[in-house]
Amino acid sequence: MTEFRKNDPRYGHLNHADDEQLYNMIKRGATRRQVMQWFMAAGATAASSSLLFGSATKAFADTPKRGGRLVMAADQHGPNDTLDPALFASGADYFRGRMYYGSLTRLTDSLGYEPELAEEVISNPDATVWTFKIRKGVEFHDGKTLTADDVIYSMNRHMGADSVSKAASLVAMVDRWEKVSDYEVRAVLSSPNADLAIALGTFHFKIVQEGTTDFSTAIGTGPYRVKEFKPGVRAVGARFENYWGEGGYLDELEHYGIGDSVARLNAFMAGDVDAMVNLPPKAIEQVEAAEGRDVWSIESGAYINIAPRLDMAQSSNKHLHKALQHLMDRQRLVKGVYKGQASLGNDQPISSAYFDHNPDIPQRMLDPEKAKYHFEKSGLRSTTIPIVTADLSPGTVEQCLYLQREGAKIGMNIDVKKVTTDGYWGAVWLKEPIAVAVVNMRPTANILMSLLFKSDAKWNETRWHNEQFDQTLVEVRGVTDAAKRKQMYGDLQTMIHEENGMVIPVHRNYVDAAASHVKGRTHVPLNNFGGSESPVSLWRDS
Amino acid sequence: MTSLILKRIGIGMITALAVSIIIFFGTKILPGDAAQIRLGQEATEANMAAMRERMGLDKSYVMQYVTWLGNFLSGNLGISLASDVPITDLIADRYQNTVYVSVLTSIVAVPVSLALGILAAMFPGSYYDRILTLVSVTLVAAPEFFTATLLVLLFVFALDLGNAVVVGSPDGKGLFSMYAHFALPIATLSFVIASQLIRMSRAAVLNVMSSPYIEMAILKGVPRRRIILRHALLNAIGPIVNVVALNLAYLVTGVVVVEVYFGYPGLATLIVQGVQTRDFVLVQGLGMIFCLTYVILMLAADVASFASNPRLRHPK
Repeated sequence: MTEFRKNDPRYGHLNHADDEQLYNMIKRGATRRQVMQWFMAAGATAASSSLLFGSATKAFADTPKRGGRLVMAADQHGPNDTLDPALFASGADYFRGRMYYGSLTRLTDSLGYEPELAEEVISNPDATVWTFKIRKGVEFHDGKTLTADDVIYSMNRHMGADSVSKAASLVAMVDRWEKVSDYEVRAVLSSPNADLAIALGTFHFKIVQEGTTDFSTAIGTGPYRVKEFKPGVRAVGARFENYWGEGGYLDELEHYGIGDSVARLNAFMAGDVDAMVNLPPKAIEQVEAAEGRDVWSIESGAYINIAPRLDMAQSSNKHLHKALQHLMDRQRLVKGVYKGQASLGNDQPISSAYFDHNPDIPQRMLDPEKAKYHFEKSGLRSTTIPIVTADLSPGTVEQCLYLQREGAKIGMNIDVKKVTTDGYWGAVWLKEPIAVAVVNMRPTANILMSLLFKSDAKWNETRWHNEQFDQTLVEVRGVTDAAKRKQMYGDLQTMIHEENGMVIPVHRNYVDAAASHVKGRTHVPLNNFGGSESPVSLWRDS
Repeated sequence: MTSLILKRIGIGMITALAVSIIIFFGTKILPGDAAQIRLGQEATEANMAAMRERMGLDKSYVMQYVTWLGNFLSGNLGISLASDVPITDLIADRYQNTVYVSVLTSIVAVPVSLALGILAAMFPGSYYDRILTLVSVTLVAAPEFFTATLLVLLFVFALDLGNAVVVGSPDGKGLFSMYAHFALPIATLSFVIASQLIRMSRAAVLNVMSSPYIEMAILKGVPRRRIILRHALLNAIGPIVNVVALNLAYLVTGVVVVEVYFGYPGLATLIVQGVQTRDFVLVQGLGMIFCLTYVILMLAADVASFASNPRLRHPK
């Protein structure tokens, strides 16, 4: 394990217990927000907390060493693995994408962005024209220099009706990409999008060379070049010596698929691989107890939920929704099912991992009195309430069973119907009066709410219709003023929390495991292995 | 003899043809449209129609079948729906692993287990026979993942030898380092097939031992070892080679659990992934390859039986 530098003068005023706690928080992958909250609870001001966070994480981060080799074990992998950024479909693809390619912007751990291949990003005040100044002297793996043409070509692959891109919807508001000069491009939007630069930092918007149609190999600008790539078997990257930026410290970075979680855990514990994705909750304690093995956990906005449909008689009762929300034992889910690797949900989807999270909504907790009050009001005492669930992820079944148990105490009769996971998304989801779901995190609050909560969204689970919500959601896309934006996103979350009726009990973390010598881990909350952003910064401590 | 073999080959070809029909129309029954899978959820109707035409899906099933079979026979397995690369490329990466593991396993497991089984038949009821029976029955009953788990616990975690999964590439390794590379999968599979082979070879030899001509030989005072090796064994070869052939076919096609547990990609895992991603073209191609593996191995077993037993060559 890393030696904790107790004598580091930068936070010498903390006592020993504080030190340990801070170290553990950072080691477990606490976000900036969590650490700041902790500091503020300890009496520091916001500004000094922020400074302290920076110095504390830097102190732990050490200086990267060059050389060595790391093997990272992924889970999903198969013959459909691809090196075409537009077709990326799994965390494994995203990880390889970061090894081999670069993008205009890079996401930070708090889901903001910093410039990458674009050295400057400028938007007009109403967020309808975005200008990107391309970094000069960036080299592709074959020696060609990056210019605006490559960027335009890469971006246009996500445009138009015949695009095969899986992420076309993220840039659907872009009308056209224009070349201003050899080192400057411009996106002209048909409707405002203040989050465009963040969207362009996500997995699919990697920059390929102009005219590339063959993706059997990857000629990118990333820190590693393709040494070996066999779909579903193995990908090896060798350091690209002419990488333009900081990073790419390893001689070789191997990404290896082990689909079975037991086999993956065996391989990790035996030291065959240096890190693994998706540590099963039951193995968390085992890894925590092992010498030289860390849990690499990232608090995210991914959630499980129970969605009662508002357009069906059995499930539209608003008092029933409130009763269910107050009956949910969220803390027990976090401890029991997730072994602490999850955060409390507050019946709205935008967790603290999102940039635009609203921290001012009071947290709903288990409150049988309130639940009873609403249940009496609902007039459903003699009715059986059916909830359909399936073992989609840890917690999806347990949350229903907890509800059932708490419900029985106040005379509510919940019938939990468990069905198979195979075919769940086609046959059950969005069809039953009350059903569960698992939702992944999206890069911005707006993308998530547009996809799942807007009235006309295809995946509007509760069929909630609220004109004010829709209006604000569209309007805020053009708001670049930070305070106004914060206010508007705050309101949107309050509306869902109050009116949607959905129960969102927990946000699960992305939980991976890494050997202690795996350094330079990132914590971008969008995916495993640090949001698949870690390949650039990973290094090996001997 | 030649005509018998030709007849067997004919039967084998008819079997393969029948299986090809089942595979082709079986995958047609599976839900999902190949053009839709290829283009994804967001495809327009016009795109889909064009893709259907390009893939020949607008023709009748019979025409599609004939085209597919013709392509298969000329070595063209088609393009994967999930990944847009030729099926032959996908198979090439995994075939290697499967072939290495099955060949290396059979080199060790087949001779050793036949010797152990025949030895047990020489001394039925002895302590050696009883212990061997106990061990082999236990191993037959133990599922692969259980054997694999025990081996990993023992060798990797207790003795700190070798890897829990197969890591790295087998390319450019010699015979011994290849055994080291695939040590645990080979060990697991050896246990699985050895137990069956031991049971079968012992039973086949003992079965022959109870026939009248052996009784005659015993009465004449021929030593037991000579009876078994000279008189009984040749008659027992038929059933034994059949079991060997079935086990070899299993090593090529049926080792999903072992491949998954030790994390190395092989053909058996590939077909499972093909079904999961609804990659019909891949499933059809692999299905046919598995079918041919069976047909060829069974054919070889039959030929071996004919060669060893004149009575099979001259049926009454």
